[in-house]
Amino acid sequence: MERLFCDPRRCVGCRACEIACAVEHTPSKDLFASVLNGELGPPRRRVQTVGAKPYRVAIGGVVLSLGCHHCDPAPCVDACITGAMHKEDGQTVCDLEKCVGCWMCVMSCPYGAITPKVKALKCDLCPDRQEKTGRSRYACIEACPTEALFAGTFEEFQKVLAEPVTAVWEGTR
Amino acid sequence: MKPRYLIIGASAAGTSAAETLRRYAPDAQVTVVSDEKITYSKPLLSYYLAGKLGEEQLFFRSPDFYERHGIERIHARAVGLLPEKNTVELSDGQKLKYDKLLLATGAAPRFPHIEGIRKDGVFGLRKLEDAHGILARLPKTKSAVVLGGGLVGLKAAAALKEHGVAVTVLIDSPHALSQMLDESSARIFERIFEQNGVAIRTRAKPVAVLGDQQIEGVQIALGEVFPCELVVVGKGVDPSLELLEGTQIRKEYGVLVDDYLRTSVENIYAAGDVAQARDVVRGEPWINALWPCAVEQGRVAALNMLGIATRYRGSMRMNSVQFFGVPVISAGLAVLTPGPLGGRPGEHDETLESQPAPGIYRKIFLKDETIVGFVLVGDVPIEAAGVLRILMERRVNVASIKEELLELGPELGRLLPLIAENRERFVEREFQELVQTVGV
Repeated sequence: MERLFCDPRRCVGCRACEIACAVEHTPSKDLFASVLNGELGPPRRRVQTVGAKPYRVAIGGVVLSLGCHHCDPAPCVDACITGAMHKEDGQTVCDLEKCVGCWMCVMSCPYGAITPKVKALKCDLCPDRQEKTGRSRYACIEACPTEALFAGTFEEFQKVLAEPVTAVWEGTR
Repeated sequence: MKPRYLIIGASAAGTSAAETLRRYAPDAQVTVVSDEKITYSKPLLSYYLAGKLGEEQLFFRSPDFYERHGIERIHARAVGLLPEKNTVELSDGQKLKYDKLLLATGAAPRFPHIEGIRKDGVFGLRKLEDAHGILARLPKTKSAVVLGGGLVGLKAAAALKEHGVAVTVLIDSPHALSQMLDESSARIFERIFEQNGVAIRTRAKPVAVLGDQQIEGVQIALGEVFPCELVVVGKGVDPSLELLEGTQIRKEYGVLVDDYLRTSVENIYAAGDVAQARDVVRGEPWINALWPCAVEQGRVAALNMLGIATRYRGSMRMNSVQFFGVPVISAGLAVLTPGPLGGRPGEHDETLESQPAPGIYRKIFLKDETIVGFVLVGDVPIEAAGVLRILMERRVNVASIKEELLELGPELGRLLPLIAENRERFVEREFQELVQTVGV
């Protein structure tokens, strides 16, 4: 299954993925409209500083953007008392209609990847993005100015990690 | 002949086991026996009682789950177990042979042994029929008494309040939620209940349910009588061990199981609220009668029943709940109330605590620089529950980040060097990938 990975060598901690993610999960899917209409919710991925307090040393420290790993077996699925959180073709999906906001999943996720905001919000791999906007597959990847985010299998991502880092305009990918 | 996997109980553990058996053994014969006609989520009963969910929203798997997966579901009570004959006897007279058996019989509400406790109008809140019984009585109920200030008792109290019933909660212990919270955290919630019109009486030991035909009140040891027309009992649960009678299966509080969730008798496994399995924080077998543990145990037991050797890592006490909009998550030994299932002195040697604003509260208990329990109250603090819990579960020495534990957010990145140092305890693919990715 295709999952999202972040190359910490390329990530500069600009948080463009966070804002793109938050915008993607609004009815308008538009930054201006979502701010104007007060639709903006929390992002489903977060830029994190490895081994240091968040954002303390964004430049010079190791930074990366993390979200749901869609793991299997998924502790959040085990914990869900309504059956809202479930596996679907390898993805971990939350049926927001069924979610009652008990936060058993928040307690169970070892990655801190679920945000409790009335419902359990997490990376849903942009299910309706292409259909509704005609844009590229993932909002976070499109937004990343340094091409740090990658979609694929971990084995494919390992090949990326093995390559030297070059400027974006040199077009490594 | 195809081997028969027999499961007694169709709630969290039983359903999870059936699902796993079907996933890994598409052709196996899987039979589930339950004394309840439908499979629904017991933790959602308080939502149903409060009128927040309809009956059709209590299904955590679709109503046709068993049928769709070709799992035989028998509506009967298992009344006898003959391990030497690999047979279970049912209340309808059927005798079922098994190759592998899973005991997922769950637990039943613990009723105090007091006068009048079996009167009509006294309910537990464990089964759908309990909720039906309470709801049917509401039109003629002005006041209700809840016995027990645990999760179920307080959820029932909050739900009854939604219906405009005057509710008094009588609690034996010195404070509410004594199995989940320490005293200072519990006081926050006692105040919230009082502010929302639910009376909380601690150190109030009920001695009798009064009334002849109709319930008239509950009397406590000090003599005071609390008039009411309805009583709900929420004083914990006891594992349902009836099937073990006359067998050699070892038990203590519950059915004792090893790290592969096997009982002491061959081909018999146990999972869920009936099973006393490894507790990672306590380091000894314990019953953590919790939904997530039951589901995980059901899955692990099923894999072992199939011959796919899978070690159960162990559970810990944990819970997440909201009362009147204020969320709390607590885990581990946040409880220091002595008792058979409570805490013991000396289980922690350091406490970190912060209360930056009213209703926002964090408390972390440490023993030998390792997290052994925490309480998080409020919208922002609870976001860190998952990462704190994994540090506790994997027994990670947190000395290097102790200063920051109280302000830790849900960012796992902060913990990656610590995880890398202890990578042998983080065997999951996702953790290993992260450690490789950042190269720490």
